[in-house]
Amino acid sequence: MSGYRFDRLRVLVVDDNPHMRKLVVTILQAFGVVQIFEAGDGEKAWAVMREANPDVVILDWMMDGMNGLELAQLIRTSPQTPNPFVPIIMLTGYTTVEKVRAARDAGINEFLAKPVSVKAVMSRLVSVIEHPRPYVRTKSYFGPCRRRRGKDEYRGPERRVLGAEPASIGAAAN
Amino acid sequence: MAKQLPIEIFMPPNILKAKVGSIAGGIDLAALKRAEAAMDTLKTEFNEWLTDDISRLALARDGLANSPSDAMRRDLFRAAHDLKGQAETYGYPLIARMAASLSKLVDETNKKPAIPIPLIDAHVVAIRIAFRDKISMTNDTVAVTLAKELEARVGEELAS
Repeated sequence: MSGYRFDRLRVLVVDDNPHMRKLVVTILQAFGVVQIFEAGDGEKAWAVMREANPDVVILDWMMDGMNGLELAQLIRTSPQTPNPFVPIIMLTGYTTVEKVRAARDAGINEFLAKPVSVKAVMSRLVSVIEHPRPYVRTKSYFGPCRRRRGKDEYRGPERRVLGAEPASIGAAAN
Repeated sequence: MAKQLPIEIFMPPNILKAKVGSIAGGIDLAALKRAEAAMDTLKTEFNEWLTDDISRLALARDGLANSPSDAMRRDLFRAAHDLKGQAETYGYPLIARMAASLSKLVDETNKKPAIPIPLIDAHVVAIRIAFRDKISMTNDTVAVTLAKELEARVGEELAS
């Protein structure tokens, strides 16, 4: 096989809109993903998460009951989580900077704004496979490093170094 | 002096990559092609899905008009927000634009006691007509003018 072995992936798709779930599931199946778990709300998703322990979670933000942000925080920080490092791709109609920042602060890895396209889904999957972020643990946050990657990344002398001993600094922001 | 907080940074093993392997260039073109074909097949269902979503929007509008409450406002916002996110995928970008205007209106007037029902209705009717007339192009002059007018009225409502 010349492409990714998507057939080895286990993906959890969480969205309360059945049409959107079907759309994402169809795209994933066409990519070759075989083991796809679906949940229509946060509570069911959390149960499936603990039972199936997926490799990737694709998560809608706005849901009744436990919303996507709350679920992401639970996955990252609950003692019952099967994998606090599982890549989370947040799928949402929200596109404002404030919302992206809130999603980032909840511990999501990638942000996928609607409308959904095949290329966008592939791009986010490739991103979590090929460019995983380091993880950060502070008193108030656990999740992927929230710093921007790429050309705007800070590279000066005060940049924190991956793998360095836990540092003490004056603020917990990262 | 600021409180000292420890920060730990580490890179977990890349289990995902170990599972799926890697490919040259990082893009699986064959998988993309398969998925585009699957989307084309799925498109036959999009009209039915959009019919459902617009019916849900109209029901939420009726619910809010008949029994105003925070829960009803939330329902209408949810319906408009979903339509905003999904209508473009279904091939109706102007409906997505009108739904975006409606979700902004409902979201940003949620603290105001008066519910702008006439302006909400204008959005719902415009969305229904755009769907009825199958306006899928973004260069439909009448529909674009209508979308701009709705956005302008929302701007006025929020400024008042």
